[in-house]
Amino acid sequence: MTGLVYSFILLPVINSLLVFLIPNRRKELFRPLTVYLSLIPLGLCLYMFVNQNLKTSFLEVDSIPWITAYGIDLIIGFSGMSFLLITLNCLLVLLSILSVNQEYAESKGFLGSIMLLQAAVNGVFLAGDLVSLFIFFEALLIPMYFLMGIWGGSNRRYATIKFILYTVFGSIFILAGTIYTGVLSYISSGKFALDFESIASMSITTSQSEILFLLFTFGFLVKVPLFPLHTWLPDAHVEAPTAGSILLAGVLLKVGAYGILRVSIPFFTEGFLRYQYIIAFLSVVGIIYGAIVAIVQIDIKKLIAYSSISHMGFVMLGISAGRYLSLEGAVIQMINHGITSGALFMLVGFLYDRRHTRRISDFGGLKKSMPIYASIFLFTSFASIGLPGLNGFVGEFMILMGSYPTFKVLTSVAAFGVVLAAIYMLWAYQRMFNGQLDNDENAVLSDLNSKELVAVGPLLALMLFIGIYPSFIESYVVQDVSVIYESISNLIGVSQ
Amino acid sequence: MSEISAAIGFNLIVISPTIALVGTALALLFFTITIESNEIVKKSITFLGMLITSFCVFLKFGLFFENGVSSYFTQKILLDEFSLFGNVLISLILLFNFLPIWDSSKQLKEKTTEAIILTLMSASGFMLMVDSENLIMLFIGLEIGSISLYALAGLNRGDKLSNEASLKYFLLGSLASCILIYGVSLVYVSFSVFSVYNFALGIAYVGPDSVPLTTSIGVLLIFIGLLFKIAAAPFQSWAPDVYQGSPTGYVGFMSSIAKVSSFIVIARLCLVSTNLIIENFNIFFLIVIVSSALIGSLFASIQEDLKRLLAYSGVVQSGFILSGIVSGINGTSASMFYLFTYILQLIGIFIIFSIINGKLSSEFNIQSIQGLFINNRFLATSFCVFMFGLAGIPLTSGFVSKFILLTNLWAYEKYLLVSILLLSTVAGFYFYLRPIWIATIEKTEAPIEILKLKKSEYLVISTLVTLTIFFGLVPSSLINISRWIVRSYL
Repeated sequence: MTGLVYSFILLPVINSLLVFLIPNRRKELFRPLTVYLSLIPLGLCLYMFVNQNLKTSFLEVDSIPWITAYGIDLIIGFSGMSFLLITLNCLLVLLSILSVNQEYAESKGFLGSIMLLQAAVNGVFLAGDLVSLFIFFEALLIPMYFLMGIWGGSNRRYATIKFILYTVFGSIFILAGTIYTGVLSYISSGKFALDFESIASMSITTSQSEILFLLFTFGFLVKVPLFPLHTWLPDAHVEAPTAGSILLAGVLLKVGAYGILRVSIPFFTEGFLRYQYIIAFLSVVGIIYGAIVAIVQIDIKKLIAYSSISHMGFVMLGISAGRYLSLEGAVIQMINHGITSGALFMLVGFLYDRRHTRRISDFGGLKKSMPIYASIFLFTSFASIGLPGLNGFVGEFMILMGSYPTFKVLTSVAAFGVVLAAIYMLWAYQRMFNGQLDNDENAVLSDLNSKELVAVGPLLALMLFIGIYPSFIESYVVQDVSVIYESISNLIGVSQ
Repeated sequence: MSEISAAIGFNLIVISPTIALVGTALALLFFTITIESNEIVKKSITFLGMLITSFCVFLKFGLFFENGVSSYFTQKILLDEFSLFGNVLISLILLFNFLPIWDSSKQLKEKTTEAIILTLMSASGFMLMVDSENLIMLFIGLEIGSISLYALAGLNRGDKLSNEASLKYFLLGSLASCILIYGVSLVYVSFSVFSVYNFALGIAYVGPDSVPLTTSIGVLLIFIGLLFKIAAAPFQSWAPDVYQGSPTGYVGFMSSIAKVSSFIVIARLCLVSTNLIIENFNIFFLIVIVSSALIGSLFASIQEDLKRLLAYSGVVQSGFILSGIVSGINGTSASMFYLFTYILQLIGIFIIFSIINGKLSSEFNIQSIQGLFINNRFLATSFCVFMFGLAGIPLTSGFVSKFILLTNLWAYEKYLLVSILLLSTVAGFYFYLRPIWIATIEKTEAPIEILKLKKSEYLVISTLVTLTIFFGLVPSSLINISRWIVRSYL
């Protein structure tokens, strides 16, 4: 069991080393080998789902003494929510490698960086203490820096540095919070115990809890990103290569929300109760703002990037409401957004590979030349909008239902986000796929080939599966959500 | 005779590293003047001398475990954990820098031996400095070490920048020495003592509240003289020019050895001599640390010369190390860990610079590392590791050192320092990642000529990279050592 959990971090690292070891003249081997290698972590995930009881709250599996003089141990563990996110990560890594075009498939640096990113993200979800959480949280910047910097678009330098500096600026707050927690733990127990169990049992005053909540939450919110901290996201998405965008939207944004659910709320609940209104307000601003800005975008990739801000706003609204239903909805929405936005970015990438433009006005009538592509795009758009029967509906509905008792006005406003989502997605669809096929370049575009269908197929299947059978996912997050919810309800003494 | 030597604490082992270094230098001189010898002989003599020095340091450990903290030569030479740590670090600096120093000196043709002798003499001076219990010994060691460094900076006589660096270093360095010795004399005026321990006794005797103003000024001046050597702002103005102008092969040695010895002496002064009145200087150190972090980060962000960038980054790192030393015992131990890991990264970076830029050249434009990754993967990867280490990215030793240092500062409730240093870390991500961007990411039209590395260079660089990553993953052993250093002050 311990070895299995470690392998989610170590296997991708070993895989990337294996890819780096292939000589450059065997370019044709890179992608097949990477695909087979990344099937292993995904297979392990499925093995764990079948054979292990994953429906648990956070469970420490192993601890390694790190700095013995200070009593800091590195702890690894897992929970149902972690495993859902890890599975999503492994799946998206596999599919994004499948989906990239020939240029990227022949670069082992690109494929290796993606797998290092996979290892770091898995590490964040498996971390059982604040230090290892921070280590992996920062370590994932290194592969992301190279992915965006080397294989990004024309303005990649600006976007990469902005992304790095924003994240680092956020993470120094997390570091400060970690250090503060360590010092408090030293005062109470005589050692810098930073594992989740000791922090949960640590007694802190209300003002300390508020400061710590602010420190951690600010750092994680930069990554989510919440409304005024979001400006790195559109730049990063537009400049990142397709695979980078898929992983950025699919899993990296979840790292922030995961951190809030794992650290900020359960450990510093008093701070959460004090500031939940501010977060909820900013989330709703983000929902509406992201959606309105998405409407006017002329670049389809930027449109999806702004839609991510809107969708992650729903996640943060659900989290900030702090009700059982809304928290559960937020976790499910995290998974759903990973699937749908990953699929959308992948589809945009397919189109860009063919046409080398992302301007919506360059297209029109594409459904005549690419009927399969058009239908898949429409299907994914519906999932993103939240059409009942598809996955997007489940999460947003639960969030809105759950948040309403806490924030009546804000939730009512947020509900308009769903309407706006329909406007920007469907209007973009209309302009790109309907109408006359008047541009000759568009007329000769080939439809999706079998490789691309294989890459996007699993995501489509998941959208449908979660849409009609959401209790499968729900059953894995129940324990985690109960722990978070209990920490809140114990304080306010209300049950619902 | 033996009674006399016992009375004055005559012990050759305790100064054996210095003797070994001076002896090696003299042997080299002898071989150069009298016998026509080839390079291999000189090279082996130099390397052997460095190995013997390391062995002598090893002998000193034996003496230390026998006698404990003890002073020799009528309270002039001190054997304690700090001096041992300093000796180990200096011999490591010598060993790791042997290659660039030798290769640079070889390119100087007729001045080869001269340069090696200067290096060895400088190291012997700094060895004496970290061993000194007496403030005059401190000054002598510092001067022996520094004067050789002034000469090293100007070795490349044909190069204008090298001349400028040497002159600037000499003039400002002498000014700092004047300030230091004036401070020593002021301290002597008050208590008529030179020994750091007796000085502490003197302060305890008169009471920390009634320490004469002359003493306070004297201590302040001693600190200023030493802060000059570690290039902490606002005493940093010489560093960028000296780093830029000096022959690249020597900069790693020059910067690391002066920093190591000065930091160790500062740590000992803070913990022993002035521990009762150190709070009087809190404002002074606060200004120094904050301005180091701000000035260093600000100017490093706009540098176009890599060596100047490293100089300003050194200013920031000095601020970090100093912040731990002046805040208390645990902070000092964290700073010693920081110093060790920082020195390893600094040496590694300058070895790489000397390979790319040529051993004797001065200017090093940031654009000239364009295409390094295509040219030499090994060099580029090592360069990235060292830069990540300096920036403090997790999985390198730089992160661990920043983490434990800031933890200690927070425990001392120095919130202002923590926030300033954290902000300078963010700025650090900007200026450390920029050279990495140019070396690995930026596409180059004209690739630089292929760099061929010798096996020994591979060995040294990969050792340093391994240590940087090792202390990032398994820091426990080195942290225990750094806590052992300060244990007698707990």
